[in-house]
Amino acid sequence: MSTAAEATAAATADQVPNYLNHERSIKSWLFTVDHKRIGLMYLVATFAALLLGGFMALLVRTELMLPGKQWMSADTYNQVFTLHGAIMVFLFIIPAIPGGLGNFFLPIMLGAKDVAFPKLNLFSFYIYVIGSVLAIVAILSGHIDTGWTFYTPYSTRADNSVLWMTMAVFVLGFSSILTAVNFIATVHTMRAPGLTWKRLPLFVWGAYATSVVQILATPVLAITVLMLFVEKAFEIGIFDPSLGGDPILFQHFFWFYSHPAVYIMILPGMGIVNELIATFSRRAIFGYMFVAMSSIALGLLGFLVWGHHMFTSGMSEYSAMVFSALTMLVAIPSGVKIFNWLATLYGGSISLQSPMLYALAFIALFTIGGLTGLPLATLITDIHLHDTYFVVAHFHYVMVGGTVIAFLGGLHYWWPKMTGKMYSETLARIAFTLVFVGFNTTFLTQFVLGSQGMPRRYFDYQDQFQPLHMTSSFGAYILGLGIVLIVWMFVRSLLKGERAPENPWGSAGFEWMTTTPPDPHNFPVTPVIERGPYDYDLCTEEELYTGFRKDLEAKKA
Amino acid sequence: MTAPKGTTQLPPQLSTIAPEVDDMYMFIYWVAVVSFLLITGFMVYYVVKYRRREGMKAEPTGHSTLIELVWTLSPLILLAYLFHSGFSSFVKAAVPPRDAIEIRVTGMQWSWVFEHPNGAIQQNELIVPKGKPVKLIMSSSDVLHSFYIPAFRIKRDVVPGMYTTAWFEPTEETQEPLTLFCAEYCGAPRGISSGSLVDEPNSNHSTMIAAITVVSPEEYDRTVHQLFIESQKPPADCDGNDDPMACWGEKLYSSKGCVACHSTNPAVNQPGPSWALVWGETRAFEDGSSVVADENYILESIRQPQAKIVKGFGNVNMPPYGERNLPKAQVDAIIAYMKKLRQ
Ligand code: HEC
Ligand SMILES: [Cu+2]
Ligand SMILES: [Cu+2]
Repeated sequence: MSTAAEATAAATADQVPNYLNHERSIKSWLFTVDHKRIGLMYLVATFAALLLGGFMALLVRTELMLPGKQWMSADTYNQVFTLHGAIMVFLFIIPAIPGGLGNFFLPIMLGAKDVAFPKLNLFSFYIYVIGSVLAIVAILSGHIDTGWTFYTPYSTRADNSVLWMTMAVFVLGFSSILTAVNFIATVHTMRAPGLTWKRLPLFVWGAYATSVVQILATPVLAITVLMLFVEKAFEIGIFDPSLGGDPILFQHFFWFYSHPAVYIMILPGMGIVNELIATFSRRAIFGYMFVAMSSIALGLLGFLVWGHHMFTSGMSEYSAMVFSALTMLVAIPSGVKIFNWLATLYGGSISLQSPMLYALAFIALFTIGGLTGLPLATLITDIHLHDTYFVVAHFHYVMVGGTVIAFLGGLHYWWPKMTGKMYSETLARIAFTLVFVGFNTTFLTQFVLGSQGMPRRYFDYQDQFQPLHMTSSFGAYILGLGIVLIVWMFVRSLLKGERAPENPWGSAGFEWMTTTPPDPHNFPVTPVIERGPYDYDLCTEEELYTGFRKDLEAKKA
Repeated sequence: MTAPKGTTQLPPQLSTIAPEVDDMYMFIYWVAVVSFLLITGFMVYYVVKYRRREGMKAEPTGHSTLIELVWTLSPLILLAYLFHSGFSSFVKAAVPPRDAIEIRVTGMQWSWVFEHPNGAIQQNELIVPKGKPVKLIMSSSDVLHSFYIPAFRIKRDVVPGMYTTAWFEPTEETQEPLTLFCAEYCGAPRGISSGSLVDEPNSNHSTMIAAITVVSPEEYDRTVHQLFIESQKPPADCDGNDDPMACWGEKLYSSKGCVACHSTNPAVNQPGPSWALVWGETRAFEDGSSVVADENYILESIRQPQAKIVKGFGNVNMPPYGERNLPKAQVDAIIAYMKKLRQ
């Protein structure tokens, strides 16, 4: 009897139209203006970039296991680490969370039918594709060995394929700007009735702050890249001293974009962590407004600190002084987030399901990333540590330990909603353990390599550094294995995962109030928001698991 | 007396500024360790204490502006301290004492050239006196490099088109040479076969290394004087040679770094023309003119490489070598070597 009832329930659920099954042709995907489909396409594309960039990282770590040439030359090595950096930064980490998870969930979290400019959204995805293709063509056809930072005059004297690569970055920048414009307009104009600013999910606040930074910073990248192009194509001296230019000017331009870019990468990740911590502690985020405003503060402060990448470049001691002082301030909003998360855990009802494991890992790893920023912001210690493996380890703790871990956590968390399938929790835990252990093994060792004086971007090194390099490489393999396992776990879930319930984690968030997978228009009727996304004390126990959809359907009837 | 050892985290302290850097480093290290343990400690404690149990509901979240302000503002004290002491040491490390010995440093892909005050030149090795401040006046003849000696805790970018300076005062004589690294990425030649430290030293960014030796001030004066004298005549081990000048030229070919761009194999033209077929040949140039390679042409090619660019080699700029870098006597030796290559 009960099995029969379940079968009918499943059958009716399958007939409910959702964004995946209401149209099925290839064309309906390629020309879709549905933010959910666009988000999924972004996710697939950026995840592919992650795998490619990760593969490059493994090549690098394999070469560095032992001193001397292993199986590639210095020249090849330089190209491989450049590709690792450029692919990870421009093709994966910057677009992944806003373009993928942001596109999918921001409108749903606002109770909106779509983003403000759906066609522009599709357009920005295609610009991303064009930029990526340009980048791949540049990589395959040429010789790009400048590092992802493209420092002049090395880059202006290099191969012409570097021009193609910088054009690719230019194009990708447009894609980010368009997404950002769309998000800002959506947040301002498309909120459901009752969804006040004080009720905005913190993921939305994160995406909003990111968008502001993207709009203000990305044009500077475009200008810089354009100047590189002009210098190279027309031999006009801007950055190259042999043409009368100033190579340090390039660094100012570059970091004026690339430091804020760090916040473009980390703020959406922090947004995800807020959602995870609230859901799995069943508790509203402590100090909601402080957390939301700390995102904005980080975004704005991020524009004032670019000089900390240049303390050894020969800029004046007084500029260094100002940049050091301002950089210290970045610790404040970062600390505010961490402390508020801890306070949220206090008194919660904490469940350690896989997405929450990622959120807790984020807190620990981002703390290390932040604390190791202190000796880099302190002038005298930075002189020793700058351009060593210490810096490499520091930013990997922020970018991977922070953003990538948050991204993976978000992917696990929202996977049931996006695909309608559950994944294997056991596999997820094993993969998490591999990722966590592998990551720390790879990069903790690199802090010591760096403080011992091992410079970065080195193809070969002295024997004294060998044991640490070897350990780091083993860590990278474990990390790689973890990522592969995650891919397998998700593929397995698509093929034979259990049907996901509407709200598998029992979250009070708005995105869980709709069908799984969501209706083509997100909600059958526009929801009226009567509480915040974290107001667990206003929800009943069964409401958390089943109540919402019926509620909305009832309104429709 | 044994050589000072580094710690697990830091290399040996061999300059006057090093202890100051390390104290700061270790202070931050312990602050970080304690903060990390506190944060993760509370996290783990809460996760265990408030784990989800049947019948237990989460407490509704309260709000406390006071707590928020406390943890927003209290880190400022630590940050202000870090900033302040980091900056005062930085200024100390940036301003060289007046009586410092001035050594000129040129970074070039992928070698270091040092010029002592008396004009003596060293390449990829440098001796410095113990207990005397040394000021470096640095420039690059091609792309960015960075002068980094971990044991001295100094690092300064070496930039084309401008001078940068740095200084240090070594505190110990060295038993084994210290390493000077290039810390700013400066590439590798195209199609290089290896590039490892052993096979091809000074052939790319990661092998752009020089050996630093600290000696007593007396020995420093003696050695630098000796180096200067030697730079004017063929070295002793060429004495028995039937062509001592060509023998010297061959040594200069590698010690001055010409080998990085010029081969002596007629088939290899990377990145500069092979020397096997230069002397006495008609050289064709980018601008269409040509000339027979004689003494004057070679001298000009070394002093002002861009005056006549050999056809097909417009992409790479050979750095100019002036009188101080490559005195007249050494140019003669190189010419003798090029002549010999044609025999
Ligand atoms: C960075 C690479 C590089 C280094 C190092 C270098 N050269 Fe050159 N050299 C070139 C290139 C490229 C050319 C051809 C273009 C030109 O004529 O300027 C050249 C041309 C020459 C010529 C003219 C040869 C001809 O075929 O007509 C001479 C002579 C010469 N170099 C001498 C030297 C000496 C002596 C040294 C070492 C002290 C040296 N070079 C170091 C790149 C280099
Ligand atoms: Cu920065
Ligand atoms: Cu260099």
